[in-house]
Amino acid sequence: MAKPSIPLGLVFSRSGPYAMMGREMEKSALMAVDEVNQSNEFDFGFTPHLRDPAGIVPAYHAACDDLIRQEQVEHIVGCYTSASRKQVIPIVERTDRLLWHPARYEGFESSDNVIYVGAAPNHTVVPLVRHMLEHISSDVFCAGSNYIWTWETNRVLREIVTSAGGRILAERLLELGETAVDHIVTEIIDRKPPAVFNTLVGESSYAFMRALHDASKRAGLTIPTLSCSLCEPELKMIGAEAAVGCITSSAYFESIEIAENRAFVARWKARHGSDSHVSVDSQSTYVCVMLLARAIRRAGSRDVAAVRRAAANHRYGSPQGPIWVDADNNHCFLTPRLARSVQGSQFKIFWEADAPERPDPYLSSLDLASFAAKLSHGADPAAKRPAYLRVVK
Amino acid sequence: MTRPSPFSVRGRHALVITRDEREIANVRRQLNRLGMSVTETDPEQPITPQISVDVIVLDADTMPIKCDTAPALKANAPVIALIGTETPSRLKWLLDLQPASFLIKPVRSAGLYTALVVAFDCAQRRIEEAAHVEKLEERIRSRRIVFGAVLQLMRNHALSEDDAFTLIRQTAMRHRTTIEQLSADIIALGGMPNRGSRTA
Repeated sequence: MAKPSIPLGLVFSRSGPYAMMGREMEKSALMAVDEVNQSNEFDFGFTPHLRDPAGIVPAYHAACDDLIRQEQVEHIVGCYTSASRKQVIPIVERTDRLLWHPARYEGFESSDNVIYVGAAPNHTVVPLVRHMLEHISSDVFCAGSNYIWTWETNRVLREIVTSAGGRILAERLLELGETAVDHIVTEIIDRKPPAVFNTLVGESSYAFMRALHDASKRAGLTIPTLSCSLCEPELKMIGAEAAVGCITSSAYFESIEIAENRAFVARWKARHGSDSHVSVDSQSTYVCVMLLARAIRRAGSRDVAAVRRAAANHRYGSPQGPIWVDADNNHCFLTPRLARSVQGSQFKIFWEADAPERPDPYLSSLDLASFAAKLSHGADPAAKRPAYLRVVK
Repeated sequence: MTRPSPFSVRGRHALVITRDEREIANVRRQLNRLGMSVTETDPEQPITPQISVDVIVLDADTMPIKCDTAPALKANAPVIALIGTETPSRLKWLLDLQPASFLIKPVRSAGLYTALVVAFDCAQRRIEEAAHVEKLEERIRSRRIVFGAVLQLMRNHALSEDDAFTLIRQTAMRHRTTIEQLSADIIALGGMPNRGSRTA
């Protein structure tokens, strides 16, 4: 007997500037939909309604308007950039629908009509900067794409680094999509910073990592690079050698060694090919659909208020480990992790939090004094500098 | 001089800097209802200072954070910021423009009038405060002159500092001039100008 079906809006840009990510996320959403539809654990299924805004910001509003009015959806999974989410929020708030948002973002938002499944800034940038201060350097060179994610990530970085007595050696920005990176790479090779913080995205980031790798090799340098956005499919695009060695912060890596993840990756590869890779955003999209399905089951209804209540504090053993929605701010408890990129488009995890961390979208619990204290307890910051660097007075 | 009322917005001219078609439509419709005229421009366009602009309605999200238009905006009319992103990095950029007022996007029919009134009132107060500060700074600049005049009278007439200053203050009142102006005259003439007989 066919299960009753609930319409589900999926809004991903399959074309346009970040089509690669959009397609990966949509694939993951459809995989989750199929699993729900085929599972005996759910007495309902989803009918997905796909929309492709092609990365055009106002098209997100039009797509959601259409999904809500024509397809009568209560729930939408989608968006990738903050600009697109900001387009969708007014309409889901006005019509009281729920947007399930998979991507990490820069924080400073908390809508009742959005469930933020991606990482908040306390899950990504904060542990990465802490690691940098404790193990690499308190001085850092920043290269990033000229948009909100970089501005805000660099602001947090600057606040933490300066309160720990470190310095931002430079902040170099490239327009989105720009691949002329040589001037930045040349400056890095000339100045030999003890660390490079990379918030470039897409093609800019790939071009930068390749060029920096080549130039460092020629100059006989090893300059540690850090990222809070790099993911497995991107490592593949960057290329085998240049993609190795980047210290990356994320709530999900394909290499997480828990049963839920091994099974998930196996299902993913069976469906999408053995040479395909799961990214943090596609895993998070899968988790969005699953959190939604479980909340509907728990609520016994697709009604937005009932689903929101049912989703809150309802623990789900996801591929990235236990995850649940914080009823206070609609963001998720997630486990922050740090890893180093290695051969084979993989990450080797070297640190993870003891337990899922409460989301702090406004970084209101960030204690800057704790960073200053940590550094003063440690050795002389100059002593932490890698051996190849001379201290020039 | 009577202050222009911030409540009367009819006939004023707004420069709207945004790219979002829906925001433009909402802002334009509401401004027209209020009897204001509207010029629209793209955030990437360079802004030329326009004397006739009474208020700038600016979509903060669409402006590049490192851009050259910000200085041009500062010298202009009061700014109402349309805000979508509340991150500190964006707000810091906005604070540099000293916005007179703000609205959270999406712009609705309610709220814009209040934002305009607050912006016009804020702009008027800023003009008045600037004039007041200018006056105070002028006084500080002439303090040396007043001090010089006091010293001159103390020497000429063997007066205490208090008495010399009192003499200058009373004479300035009698001559219907400022203490600063009279002090400048005392220094120029090497003593109290002899106008006492006319007013005695």
